[in-house]
Amino acid sequence: MEPPNLYPVKLYVYDLSKGLARRLSPIMLERERQRHRQREKQAPCREPDAGLDPGTPGSRPGPKAGKQLEGIWHTSIVVHKDEFYFGSGGISSCPPGGTLLGPPDSVVDVGSTEVTEELFQEYLSSLGESLFRREAYNIFENNCNTFTNEVAQFLTGRKIPSYITDLPSEILSTPFGQALRPFLDPIQIQPHGGSPIGRPNGQS
Amino acid sequence: MARAREEARDSQLVSGREPTSRIIRVSVKTPQDCQEFMLAENSSVHHFKKQISKRLHYDTDRLVLIFTGKILRDQDILSQRGIFDGTTVNLVVRTRLKGTLPGPGTLPGPTDHCTHHSEPSTSESAGMLARLGRLAQSSPELTDFLGQLAQLLTAAPESVVQFLENPVIQGLVNEKPAKARQAPESSRQNPQKPEPTLKALETLQNPARQQELLQANKQDLEALTAVPGGDNAMRPVCSDIQQFMLFTLAPLVASKGQNPASELCKEEANAHSNTDTTITIPTASAPARPLTQKVRAGQATQARSVASNQTHSGCGLRMPDINSGHNLLSQESQQPIGKATLTSQLRPSPSALCKALHVLQQNPALLHQLASGSPLQHHLPLLPILTNPRALQALIQIEKGLQILSKEVPGLGRCLWDPDDTKMIMLTMMMMIRTL
Repeated sequence: MEPPNLYPVKLYVYDLSKGLARRLSPIMLERERQRHRQREKQAPCREPDAGLDPGTPGSRPGPKAGKQLEGIWHTSIVVHKDEFYFGSGGISSCPPGGTLLGPPDSVVDVGSTEVTEELFQEYLSSLGESLFRREAYNIFENNCNTFTNEVAQFLTGRKIPSYITDLPSEILSTPFGQALRPFLDPIQIQPHGGSPIGRPNGQS
Repeated sequence: MARAREEARDSQLVSGREPTSRIIRVSVKTPQDCQEFMLAENSSVHHFKKQISKRLHYDTDRLVLIFTGKILRDQDILSQRGIFDGTTVNLVVRTRLKGTLPGPGTLPGPTDHCTHHSEPSTSESAGMLARLGRLAQSSPELTDFLGQLAQLLTAAPESVVQFLENPVIQGLVNEKPAKARQAPESSRQNPQKPEPTLKALETLQNPARQQELLQANKQDLEALTAVPGGDNAMRPVCSDIQQFMLFTLAPLVASKGQNPASELCKEEANAHSNTDTTITIPTASAPARPLTQKVRAGQATQARSVASNQTHSGCGLRMPDINSGHNLLSQESQQPIGKATLTSQLRPSPSALCKALHVLQQNPALLHQLASGSPLQHHLPLLPILTNPRALQALIQIEKGLQILSKEVPGLGRCLWDPDDTKMIMLTMMMMIRTL
């Protein structure tokens, strides 16, 4: 029996903040901690320093750097010479690097898959009706990175790097993130330039 | 022989004693859900598929099992492919066998809706998408975009200038030094006031055609707000810019339009407060909210008195003066053009704001003059930071320095810098980027 074809699977990683998150996150998150520290000075009761230094819970915050976010990550899967991603418009596809985001900031090699293009389309259609319908988009719980993680595991058995999937919890673990959660939650991200995936029987 | 083997396997399945063929728990994950199956680790994939078919009621011919990216063949043994206790395999159910039509149960209604909905909006907003693309892709484009935002800051006062051209403005120019000193912008900035405002007026008269450009492109960018997500991105930016604009007009309008404005201020105050309150994106309105509150408070007060000396009494009243004055003057200048367009112009008009910011960036001196002395001084200088990485670095260093300062001298740091600005800028940037 002939060996099956192996198709490479890549992960395209984009920083939506274009570097701003890396520069501003230490300030913005540190500032909250400063206020928190001042509050601690006034009130003798000790509160655990939630999230900003999980290594030493309950300890008095010493001089430490603020939380550093390297970026606000958007990811997509590239396989069979197409880029697939999930946004508020559902699952979309485009030529690799073909969204308005331009070329990716980094490319991660996920592995190889035997899954054929036809089978993959079936799988994506099925996903698009269940877990990744367009209405199911949520910036924290079910976002583009959730989708790529799911697809990467399907295609190769491997997950995407944890610094990407940990991002929502990183943000929400800070007082800043918690305070802004009601405002950030309804945000819908949809990179333009792709088209929604369709059924194999010709629906566009 | 085969039957014996089969019976042995069955007995193993029951007793679970033999280590060579343990019962393992394998999860089968479909796009819809995940189910667990118990079977011998040396059973075949075909056997596995039969179990799946029995439980999920799919034809075994349509089942495709995938493990670590490899498609499992019927004759494979689970343990040979690395499937052990606790592993998960993926299942795809083919909607059709090769050459046959898809079953009725698999035709997706929701997907049809999705595609149909996206098509019209895509075709309508193709041009807008291209524009957004240009905006998003490079920071020089972003600078232009922000630059255009600045133009409203001069476009509106420009209409003010046009209206008050000959008789009034001459008088006001003469009165300006005295009145400007009375205007309560900021005690430390007062001496500089007369000259900046004079120079600002002259500079404003230069971009004579801003108004026409503003009208022409307003249609295009009003449509921009119709792009899904575009409006949400525009609004926080534009609401902030509008507030900036209104504040920076304070020196000009308060000094110029005090007398004629005060009469009509009362009439226009309510109209403009309505416009203000329509801007309600929470993240961006954090600075705007206190302004709006001041507006309402100040307008109520101003309604009671006609004298322009009310502008002296503080920041709270400055806003209504600006709002109503600006509102009035813009309106009257546009009456030949059409009054209907005014309210929408006062509303965050992206093109107008674009141009306003553009002119401001081209004339940094103007920016400084307009902003000097107003409480908005904190905000306006931040706008170039959105595009200038060196400015951003300097901002970060300043922030750090101010933190140290505020620790050493409590209370001083707060006067120099508003910590909420940084967050607001970042959120504004995120909102804008979100339009991608």
